[in-house]
Amino acid sequence: MSDVQLTGVHKSYGNVPVLHGVDLTIKSGEFVVFVGPSGCGKSTLLRMIAGLEHITGGEVKIGGKVVNDVPSPQRGIAMVFQSYALYPHMSVYDNMAFGLKLAKTPKAEVDQRVREAARILQIEPYLDRMPKALSGGQRQRVAIGRAIVRQPKVFLFDEPLSNLDAALRGQTRVEIAKLHDTLDATMIYVTHDQVEAMTLADRIVVLNAGRIEQVGTPLELYRHPVNTFVAGFIANHTMNFVNVTPKGSSLTLPGGKTIATTNPQVAKAASLGVRPEHLGLTDVASAQFTGTIEVIEQFGEYALIHVLLADGNHLTVKLDGAPDLHLHTEVHVGLDPAVVHLFDAEGRALRSV
Amino acid sequence: MAMKNQINPWLASNVWLLVLGMLPAFLLLAALIYFTAWAFSFSFTDLELVGRKSVNWSWVGFENYVRLWTRKGFLDALWTTVIFTFFSAIVGQSVLGFLLAGTLRTTKSNLRSFIEVAIMLGWLLPDIVAAFLWSATTSQTGLINNLIITPLGFKPVNFISEFALPVVTIANIWKGTAWSYLLFSAALDSVSREVVEAAKVDGATPFQRIWLVILPIIRPHIATNMLFITIWTFTYFPLIYALTGGGPGRQSETLAIFMYKQSFGTGKLGYGSAISVAMLLIVGALSLIYLRLLREPK
Ligand SMILES: Nc1ncnc2c1ncn2[C@@H]1O[C@H](COP(=O)(O)OP(=O)(O)OP(=O)(O)O)[C@@H](O)[C@H]1O
Ligand SMILES: [Mg+2]
Repeated sequence: MSDVQLTGVHKSYGNVPVLHGVDLTIKSGEFVVFVGPSGCGKSTLLRMIAGLEHITGGEVKIGGKVVNDVPSPQRGIAMVFQSYALYPHMSVYDNMAFGLKLAKTPKAEVDQRVREAARILQIEPYLDRMPKALSGGQRQRVAIGRAIVRQPKVFLFDEPLSNLDAALRGQTRVEIAKLHDTLDATMIYVTHDQVEAMTLADRIVVLNAGRIEQVGTPLELYRHPVNTFVAGFIANHTMNFVNVTPKGSSLTLPGGKTIATTNPQVAKAASLGVRPEHLGLTDVASAQFTGTIEVIEQFGEYALIHVLLADGNHLTVKLDGAPDLHLHTEVHVGLDPAVVHLFDAEGRALRSV
Repeated sequence: MAMKNQINPWLASNVWLLVLGMLPAFLLLAALIYFTAWAFSFSFTDLELVGRKSVNWSWVGFENYVRLWTRKGFLDALWTTVIFTFFSAIVGQSVLGFLLAGTLRTTKSNLRSFIEVAIMLGWLLPDIVAAFLWSATTSQTGLINNLIITPLGFKPVNFISEFALPVVTIANIWKGTAWSYLLFSAALDSVSREVVEAAKVDGATPFQRIWLVILPIIRPHIATNMLFITIWTFTYFPLIYALTGGGPGRQSETLAIFMYKQSFGTGKLGYGSAISVAMLLIVGALSLIYLRLLREPK
């Protein structure tokens, strides 16, 4: 049993509150990702689970046992730090063996576990090297290896890939996913990176200013964000928002066009959100918006075009392939009413079901 | 020409300016070599400060060096110096400096500022003033006797004459800890917080974190610190001289004081030079050991 349960977890530094009561249950073997803007308290929460930060209020349970006052090593956790945090004066082997040696594990078992982890992570050739003589990616593997040999119930990762270049990040991401599959351990992972969150997580926890905004599977968060914050935060390309005024069972968009909606709470709608991938270019007659192209970001596989509307609003439209478009030309943008998100004046989502 | 300008745009373009800029360094180097050579040469003579032998000196070969070993003074002073250096610098200043740096860096209170100011004061006070303070504090009618010993009903103790070497040692710890404190504070700042936390998660006790993680990481800083404070303390003169003059008897006579007394008290400049050359060799040998420590282990 290695579930993690947070109940009313508070954290203050001095009299500055940082976390305002976090409730969360992480199931045994689950991969949970914490995302949120910088300074929202992701690391703090992780470090409280790790036992590196005093818990101001509330309860942290690991495997059903309250661990508020249990020191780190006895919590059955292992942590992978952003800066790798390898012991610079120890060889790769000793880095991985350090915790086991401190726990007075028999030498043969230390050796067997270190070599097993090295094999999984393909760092066997470097066992005798010093961390200084390794590349960033290799160091990160050693840091993960150091976590693995402790055979923890819960792995904690604090932005483990953020110091790696894009290619290596992608590769290591896949390896962490495989690792989760092999080890079958609970993993809690903090990241800034949308792609890491969407691809690795069983469930994503969106934090904002010390509170949980939403918890859900990546698809739930993508399809049904509970508020404008989550809607704007999740997914690769930020959602577009425009103000709307309800009129019967339809909505008036800026620019005067209306769209029909089946949402029963349409009367409360104040803004409409639509993802760039759910917008497209059409002809004047069926378009909801008209504007001029300000910027074209060409990614090869797709392009993002930034459109300035007559009323000053901006829209980002994602188009597949390499559309033949020119800057400062007029385009007509259409949306599919089935995939728009409606929010009330407080930014809360108006669910249609 | 273009290359030259790239290396050092305005200095290299004018040779005379270059020479002028290096002149002070040359002069300093020349003076150093001159004085060392002077001391080295005269250590083989019977030159004296005054009298006949101040003019009509002669070469005496290794006689002065033989005297270092055969006459009593030198070896006693060497032993006193070793004790003084070991306890005041290596044990006192460096351990105390490390402990202060380690404990104070996590405290963010007025206490920290207070202690920092206190230890910096010791460092900044001129040696003579410090000597006066310590002598006033530890003498028969001093502060310690008036505040502690006499009220407890004991007879006042003249610390400075009965425990000369310990008093001098403690005075030097007080005086020199600031350096070690500053150096170790900077060294500890260079130890990544996450590395120490990783050790904590790995199950290291506070002592193990210091002994197995922090100290090995700052080993080069420790060696640098040892190098400096050993050299300084080994040749330290003013505080001890002003406090005890090497006495009572020869209880606190370190090599620096012994050399001073032989050279300028007794006036035997030749013998004094031999003492200083011997000191130079000892300090040089110690430095080599520390420099070895500085290097990364293979
Ligand atoms: N030791 C501390 N003392 C005071 N405030 C702190 C301390 N550590 C963190 N904070 C504050 O707590 C808040 C949350 O910090 P935390 O490091 O958890 O953010 P984060 O979500 O991990 O951000 P990032 O994505 O930038 O890493 C921040 O506002 C930060 O300023
Ligand atoms: Mg963080």
